[in-house]
Amino acid sequence: MSGASRDSIQLVIPSEPGRIADADEFLETTLRSHGVPEAVVSDMAIAATELVNNAIVHGNKRDATKTVSLTLQFTEKDVVIRVVDQGDGFDPDKVPDPLAQENLLREVGRGIFIARSLMDDVRYERDPGGGMAVIVRKSLNPT
Amino acid sequence: MKLSFHEKNGVVVLEPRGKIMGGPDATVLHDKLHDLIAEKKLKVVVNLSDVDWMNSTGLGILISGLTTLRNNQGDLKLASVTDKIQSLLTITKLVTVFEAYDSVDEAITSFGTAARA
Repeated sequence: MSGASRDSIQLVIPSEPGRIADADEFLETTLRSHGVPEAVVSDMAIAATELVNNAIVHGNKRDATKTVSLTLQFTEKDVVIRVVDQGDGFDPDKVPDPLAQENLLREVGRGIFIARSLMDDVRYERDPGGGMAVIVRKSLNPT
Repeated sequence: MKLSFHEKNGVVVLEPRGKIMGGPDATVLHDKLHDLIAEKKLKVVVNLSDVDWMNSTGLGILISGLTTLRNNQGDLKLASVTDKIQSLLTITKLVTVFEAYDSVDEAITSFGTAARA
């Protein structure tokens, strides 16, 4: 992450697939209120909904008693999104390659790949509070 | 996401609007595609002109419809794909899977000559 931290805003939702739209609305509203360019807003919305969906479905196994947090942090140069679930974690390197010919017609399995493609940086870590954290970063001035 | 549809020359045109991002909203499109297959309406065009963006859930729904239709000797074709969605189709190599046309009319006409239809 580059530049000094300016602002940090968080949304916490229960692990219900119907709440993905809430996460998207929160994200897009917050990004626009900070003057983020539309091209960046849509890329971040796509990536964030992938991560929130994964957190709900794979991380928390749709257990509505578990939560997913979505934190946006703004710096001078970029936006960072941190999505944290309360699950047991996963190995991102073990996700099948969605571009492999045998996987092209699979209905699932592209979320992380798309997030990696749209964001400038994607990393994973165990959250200090337990659960898996996925952190993505996008420059506010894409080249 | 909101969904409307109409039929022209024996081809069903589905017109989703908004974002296709998962959750109960997106099941409307999935369910409609599979209802059409149950009704033996096997020529389908999805007009994407009013879809702001979609994520992998939306792509998965389109793939599900495509494969099920083709398995039933039908097909699903895309029309008026926006730049944002075209970019997703390109990076996921799904451009090699879907037939896409600049307009709904072109997509409908293509069923008249395509062997699969």
